[in-house]
Order: sequence, then C-alpha cells, then structure tokens
Amino acid sequence: MMPTLAINWTIVGMAAASGMILLLRDWRVTVPALLASYLCVVLFLAQQQFITPDLAFGARTLSTTVVVKLVTGLAASAILAITAITFSREYNLEELDEFSLTELRRAARRAQRQRASEPFRISEYIVPFWALVLVALASLALPRLYPIGSQEVDFAWYWLGLTGLFTIVIAGDMLKIGLGLLLIVSSVDLVYTAVASTVQVFPLALLSLTTIVLALSVAYLSGLLYGRLKTLDLAELYQR
Amino acid sequence: MPYLLLITFPVAIGASCFLLRTQTRLVIVLAVATMLAQVALAVFIPVDQPVRLLGLTLNLDPLGQLFLIVVPAVTALMFVTTWRLPHGENYLPIALMIIGLASTIVLLLQEPFVAALLLVSAGLLSVLAIVDLPTGSSLLVEPAVIASALKYLVLMAIAGVLMYMGFILINMYRPGVMPQQVEPPRIVLALLAVGFGLRLAVAPFHSWLPDLVEHAAPMVAALVIIVLNTTGLLFLISVFQFFPVIVAENEHGLALLAWLGALAALAGGLMALVQDRPRRVAGYLVVYNAGMVLFGLATITPAGLAGAVFETFNQILAVPLLLLSLALLEQPDGRAPNVVRRDLLWRWPVGGAGLLGGGLALLGLPPFSGYASKMLFYDVAARNDIVFLGLLVGATALGLLALARLAHQRLLGAPEDQPVEETPRLLGMTEVDLPAQRRLEREPPVVALAVVLLLAWCLAIGLYPKPLLAMITDMIRGLTFVREL
Repeated sequence: MMPTLAINWTIVGMAAASGMILLLRDWRVTVPALLASYLCVVLFLAQQQFITPDLAFGARTLSTTVVVKLVTGLAASAILAITAITFSREYNLEELDEFSLTELRRAARRAQRQRASEPFRISEYIVPFWALVLVALASLALPRLYPIGSQEVDFAWYWLGLTGLFTIVIAGDMLKIGLGLLLIVSSVDLVYTAVASTVQVFPLALLSLTTIVLALSVAYLSGLLYGRLKTLDLAELYQR
Repeated sequence: MPYLLLITFPVAIGASCFLLRTQTRLVIVLAVATMLAQVALAVFIPVDQPVRLLGLTLNLDPLGQLFLIVVPAVTALMFVTTWRLPHGENYLPIALMIIGLASTIVLLLQEPFVAALLLVSAGLLSVLAIVDLPTGSSLLVEPAVIASALKYLVLMAIAGVLMYMGFILINMYRPGVMPQQVEPPRIVLALLAVGFGLRLAVAPFHSWLPDLVEHAAPMVAALVIIVLNTTGLLFLISVFQFFPVIVAENEHGLALLAWLGALAALAGGLMALVQDRPRRVAGYLVVYNAGMVLFGLATITPAGLAGAVFETFNQILAVPLLLLSLALLEQPDGRAPNVVRRDLLWRWPVGGAGLLGGGLALLGLPPFSGYASKMLFYDVAARNDIVFLGLLVGATALGLLALARLAHQRLLGAPEDQPVEETPRLLGMTEVDLPAQRRLEREPPVVALAVVLLLAWCLAIGLYPKPLLAMITDMIRGLTFVREL
C-alpha cells in the first residue's frame, strides 16, 4: 500500500472525470469524461496489479482482465457517443397515420422552441456542485467508517459509486442517467476486482458484457425518446 | 449435456424467431412448440447431478425443475394468445431469450455473481419488449411507456448492483477477520433486501411494477412478473441456502424483514384500494402479494417458506390470468371508445370471470389456488405475533375491497346493451333513416380458451392443493437454513 500522503494521479484523474460527469450537462464533455474515467480505472488496476499479470507489452506486464476492462470502457463510451451524435431512431414515416405524423411535427416544434429559449444559467449548476461536495465528503468519510479494501480502493469505489448515484438523481436527460448507471457498475467492478478473495474470470467477463448491454439499452431508449419527442430532456418525458 | 440444452434451445429458437419476426403466425407456432419441448426436457432431465462447465457449477434441484416445468407451460399458453392479442414485433423472440436466461439462472444458482448479472441482463432485455410496437404499426411509442421502461431499467440495474455488492461482501467475509464495525452479514442482508425488494417489487421498492402493468402490453408485464420475479425469489432462497451465515447472524434483521413484508402487503392492499384504473389495481395486487411472499420467506420457518414457494407458483398462474383477462376486457367491443364501461362481466363473461378469479387467487380466497399459501402465512403469523396476523388479514381485506370496488365499477353494472325490438319499417323510410346497427364482437376464442384453462388450473389447485403442497414441503425439507418456530 502506498503512503497515505502520496498522490495517486490515476485516482485523481478518475475522480476529476467522474466529477465532471456529475457537474456538467453537455454530452460533448460528459461522454469523453466517462472514457477518461474508464481509462483511469484501468490504469489504477494495472498499477495495483490485483490480478496476476499474464500479458507482456515490452517491459510492462498486464492482466488480460485489465485489457478486457479497457475494451469494455471503450465500447460503452463509443456506444453512448454514437448515440449522442446520431440520437434519433427515426420512425418509418410511410407507415405512420396522420395523427402520429402531426404528433411528431408538434414535438419537433416544441423541442426547437425549447432549445432556442435555453440560455446558460449558473443556477442550474448549484445542485450538482453541492452534490459533488457531498460526494467528496462521503468518499473521504466512508472508507474510515466502513473500510473494505485499502484506503485508495475504498476511496475510488465509493467516489465512483456515489458520483454515479448522484448523477442519476439529478440527471436532466436520458444520456446522463446512462452515464450514472455506468459509473455505478464501474464502481462495483472495481471493488470486486480489488477485494474479492477469489476473482473468477466468468463473473468479470459477464460484468463487462452487462456494462455493454446496459450502454446499448440506454442508447436504444435514448434513440426512442429522441425519435418521439425530438429531445432527450426528461422534463418533457414526464410533462405529459 | 441436457442442462446445456435447457439454456441454448430457447435462446437459439429465440434468435431464429427474431430473424422471422415479421412472419407472425410461424413465429407463434415455433415459440409454442419450443416451450412445450422445454417442458418435456425439464420433466425428463436428471436432478441434483451437478456438472462443471467453464469453471461454473450447473445443477438443477427439484424446486428449479418444478419452476422449469410450470413457467414454460404457462408461457406457452400466453404465446398462444398472441394469435389474437396485439403484441410487439419482438415480443416472442425476446420472451424466448428471457426464458433461456431464466433457465440459466436456475441452473447456476450456486454461482451468485453470475446469477445476479444474468438477472440484470434479463431485466435489460425485457426493456426492449416493454417499448416494442406491433409489426407495421401506425402508432408512436407513448412517452408514458418510455418513462416506465426507463424507470424499470434504472431500478433493475441498481437492484443488480446491490445484489452483486452483497455477494462481494459475503464472499470476503471471514468471521473475526473483518473489522467489527462493518458487520458484513447485516450489511449483506440490507443490500440483498433492497436488491431483491426492487426485483420482487416489495413496497416501498415497488414503483416500477404498477407503471409497467399500466403502460406496457399485458403479456409483457405478465412475462416480467412470472419469469423474472419468480426466478428472483428462487435465487433469494438459494442465496440463503448457500450463505447460511446471512440467516444465522441476522435474527433481528430477518424479524425486521418479516415486518417489512407484512407492512408491504398492507401498503399494497391499501394502494390497490385507492386506484381508479383496473391495470393499476392489478399492479398493486401483485405488490400486495410480493409483501406476503417476503413475510413468509423472512420467517425462515418450514410453513412460511412453503407458503412463499406455493404463493410464487400461485402467482405464475394468477398473474397471467389477471392480465390476460384485462387484455380481453380492453379489446374493442363494437361500442363507442373512450366511454367507461360498467357491464364488462356481461359483455365479456370469460374475461370478467378471469379478472375476478385471478384477483381472488392472488388474494387467496377459497376455492382459488392462493388459498393454501395464505392459510400457511396466517398460521405462521398467528404463531409469531398476533399483530402480524392482523396486518396480513387487514392487507387481504383491503385487497378484497379493491377487487370488489373494481368489480362494482367495471364488471357488475347493468347490461348496457338491452335487446332492442326491431323498429317496423314505415312507408317512405330509407336505410339512412334507420339507426346504425352495432356489431358487437364475441370474445376471441383463443384468448377465452387460455383464460378458461388458467382459471381451471387455479380452481383445481385451490380445491386440491395437497399434491403440490406435499411436493414443495418435501423440497423445503432439504434446505438447511430453515428453522422451526
């Protein structure tokens, strides 16, 4: 274990990336931040070597499990990024009746109006900011109250899990809910890899698969919502 | 290896059905045949012969075998009704995949990490069925349906994470080694209680279920409840079996869970009573039932556990009966839409009778199938604490009132379509002068037959519960964590 005062930059990077997901709203920042968070977790796992390395890259050795996590992170981030770029699952307009077409046109107009009247407001960042402060306090306190692994591992998984949870709680759009869920799954993945007495390959592989399926499900629902309401805003979804 | 066949067969046919999904009739025949083959496989497969595969232990215990016989049989009946009831384009392929995943979970109950993740994956898969539209539909997905699917997705993912976390803690727990303040068995029980509470829709973790029942197609809701919730309960029983420390070191925690179960049943009954829409009443009756099951399980007594397992099998019959009947009653019947009908029992006698029968079976009123399990719960409650008995009976009374209110408002009103005497044609009268003839449709025979069959099964088990009860009691005797009062 490293001395308590030494700074582990991979953990700092992971905390900053997941903190940005909680704090910011623009997918052009949050989705790359998710990727950065995955990369930091992978670097942390490679650094700590919880699982015996079985691959050699020049002078460096790495575990296959860590490589699998890297691929999973890349895949999940790519799925959400592609969703954010393309957004819509368009309906086949020829199959829709007149009422449905009118409904779609109305939704598009409403979404356009909403986008036009949406200036930057600092007040919208107050709740996420205080949520981040709460996460920071809890992530520092909980490893002392309920220690499970080393101090670094505990801080890392508590931070990831709590930022994920708060991201879901304050999320204003569907993509952000997906980001929150992926952070929570990443947190559990980290703690299992780091502290389980016997890490089995199959659960780890299945966890990676579940992460990708989760990203796909969020992407599918996001596409469906955008196709229907021309926005990913949850307020629009629950307004009706 | 027959165990592998139980997993791969429905998944492979599900994939084939996905490719053929526009050929609706062909896919229905294929799906029903697959379910019947699955039943035959489960009947003849050897039990308690564990095998190792990819480092995992696959085993089928008698309880799992019973599940793998009953669920595909009922699902086959539900698939038959898709011949007539509108359903999503991908409903059958997804249902087959979910059955395959559920079979995998039942076979891998000894591998909690894998089973928890498979349960999450099956939940994520069912999201696709919730938002599915029929082939070539001219309609849009309703925002309320997307909202229900999103709620379900988030809560199921969180449930899976909590279960997984609980298994990590119990996996690393060594008595006396972990710091005392952590008390892993308590934390594990708390994590599992919330995780499984979300999965089984026990109040206050139930919010996804009434929304799902209200907004998703009835058969999708039935599939989620009878396949995934039942698998969740089997999984919970196996967790107690393989990690007895959770039971042994949590006497107070389990007592608390029993209270939670009884109060959840009461809350379910109360919320059912204040609902206006039939689907929401049905949803809250299932929430009431989940509370009852949790109570029985948390008592950890042979009678309580037998009641919980019996009630789960009752739910496998009663929920499809209730939801299929609702789907039948919601069919356009040739009368003006958007008008609340109060005579549905006379208009759709089979659907109306099915709704009443399904509701009474869930509430455990004689002579329906939930009667035996509810009596077991009441017996355990009376022997534990008289307040428990009061809560459980009160919950059932509230549920019964909710059903009576629903019947009064929607089923038992005076028939609105009285036979009308034919107006004699007068001189000079043309076709335009005559009132338009209303063509009232009959109940779709396929769906009506399915409802009658489910109702007959509910009645048969209710009148003669002994064989099933004896079988379940026998299986429970093999569980090591059960204790006598």
